Amino acid sequence: MDKPKILIVDDDPDLRRALNLRLRANHFDTAYATDGFSAISMAQKERPDLIILDVGLPAGDGFVVLDRLQQNAALSCIPVIVLTARDPQATRDKIMRAGAIAYFQKPADNSELMHTIRTVLSPAWPGTVAAS
Amino acid sequence: MSKHDNHVLLIEDNPGDADLVRLRLVEARPGLEVACVNRLSDGLESLVQEPPSVVLLDLNLPDSRGAETFRRVLSKAPGVPVVVLSGQDDEDLALKAVHQGVQDYLVKGAFDSKQLGRAMRYAMERQALLTSLDMSRKQQLQFKDQFLSHVSHELRTPLTSIHQFTTILLDGLSGPVSSEQRDHLQTILRSANQLHSMINDLLDATRAESGRTHIEPRCIVIGEVVRNAVSMLQATAKEKRIGLEMAVDARLPLVYADPERVLQVLINLVHNAIKFTPPDGSVMVRVCLVQHDPEFAYISVTDTGRGISTEAKPLVFERMYQDPATVDDSRKGLGLGLYIARELVHLHGGRIWVESQLGHGSVFTFTLPLFSLTKLLTPIITSQGRMREAVSLVTIDLAPRMDPAIGNWRDMRETCLQILRQCVLPDKDVVLPPLGNSGSGEIFQIVVSADQAGAAILVQRIRQQLEKHPELQAAANVSISVRPVVLPSPESGDSLVKLVQETADRITEMSVAAMERKATFDNLNLPADGHN
Repeated sequence: MDKPKILIVDDDPDLRRALNLRLRANHFDTAYATDGFSAISMAQKERPDLIILDVGLPAGDGFVVLDRLQQNAALSCIPVIVLTARDPQATRDKIMRAGAIAYFQKPADNSELMHTIRTVLSPAWPGTVAAS
Repeated sequence: MSKHDNHVLLIEDNPGDADLVRLRLVEARPGLEVACVNRLSDGLESLVQEPPSVVLLDLNLPDSRGAETFRRVLSKAPGVPVVVLSGQDDEDLALKAVHQGVQDYLVKGAFDSKQLGRAMRYAMERQALLTSLDMSRKQQLQFKDQFLSHVSHELRTPLTSIHQFTTILLDGLSGPVSSEQRDHLQTILRSANQLHSMINDLLDATRAESGRTHIEPRCIVIGEVVRNAVSMLQATAKEKRIGLEMAVDARLPLVYADPERVLQVLINLVHNAIKFTPPDGSVMVRVCLVQHDPEFAYISVTDTGRGISTEAKPLVFERMYQDPATVDDSRKGLGLGLYIARELVHLHGGRIWVESQLGHGSVFTFTLPLFSLTKLLTPIITSQGRMREAVSLVTIDLAPRMDPAIGNWRDMRETCLQILRQCVLPDKDVVLPPLGNSGSGEIFQIVVSADQAGAAILVQRIRQQLEKHPELQAAANVSISVRPVVLPSPESGDSLVKLVQETADRITEMSVAAMERKATFDNLNLPADGHN
């Protein structure tokens, strides 16, 4: 009944707006946070089904956010897709080890990103079962 | 350096010569610490354990002679200044040594203590200068790296915005778009994509320059990669009315290369070919084997473009080189494509070159090594010229829990591969290069020179390491099995080469069987998923 909710964490207002538009057009509910600190409080408040997370953020970068999410029993099961401009060669491994389930470099291919979001939110994916 | 400023390592086997040099050393600089060894092997060991401030080196030693001697010293301790003590009849060799990195030479019996002291001092000064030059060069490179990676990061953010909003408009997410508007939007998107690939090229070129490019070679079907490249550029070719075709021998053996990097090279070459070929021309991609070079596959891209002048030919692979004849083109690009292609091909151990005549088109050819299982297995399954007693095959089956088509399955695969590589013992086990893209999931295999019980220890080690990667466990089901490899009997009197070949064949059969089992299993599972 409810649309799946996606929390967008990015300090760039243009990107937030664009993602928001695209996700809503694809029948997702959205919420957003603009820094690492509010990312955690929004995650607690909104209990999203998925988080799209930037790495370079004010008030706690993507690594800090991933770490906080992991430490919180209620939030640790929310899947996180990282979407960043950072060089994958330098960052991807570290991000995946920190607990993200996917890494996209900006600008990302829309259809690949949507496909990943749908796959992660589909009931067949093990992480989401625990989340609901 | 001050602490070891007076430590001399003298490598000299003739006791008379050694004594004479010691004497001169004491005259030149009293208080010097002189260590003297008479074999190169002892010298190399002492170089590592207690790096001296200067090495005095005789070239003809009991365990090494001539050029070999200074090459080994230079490679063992690249930052240590070396002065060669040369005989009167081999000054030429001493000069060669200087050309290759030795700091100076002295002719035995023809130098006094002053000359010796001066030679040593100069050698140390020059070496220190070289070292600091090298360091500042490295610092500069590092600075450039950091600068470019910062710039590319900053460029990506507005580029992402352009890309996002253009596609939002194109996808009709904010209302209908007229066909004229669509046309304009597509132009914006095309330019944004161009900018994107230029940023990537810039980063790739910087990485290549500082030696930070990584490749992940695996066993690949080269024809598939060629097909990918051709289909990706078919539309661009059609737009220019250029026929883009490929000719690949289906019986080609597997190639050992990184498929994404090979695709990058091919796209570069084919894209260039299309760019420099006038409308109604043609571009052909061929893969073949060449009799005189049996260990490589030859991949060539032939166009009917304007060709390259004799003067330009040696320059086309250089960074930022632009053919002066193309100045009239409005979009020349950065001139990095062929440079990156060359670096990538070299990293694979291949070669790249161009044959061309002005007005008659060009042929760019590069080579990639063919995969040879026997070459890989020989050091593992043989020891001291004999077959090992037992060999086992460990199979690690990685089955994705979610759709492997999504972006990060590749990372899982690489993580797993890295874990396996860390777990194996060098010279005793080897992780076989994974086979191309094996449907859903991935099979890794390790050839272990041990019986099943021995292999079980390796399996335990792998499981322990896998447990440290929860993200891998979340993404995939991992199952591991061990099978013994039936070895050919050594009593058969066959040569070692033949025994290794037979074992390699058996392992190939077992690998293929494992892949087929997996394929059957996956197929069986498909309908069940469909009903859910």
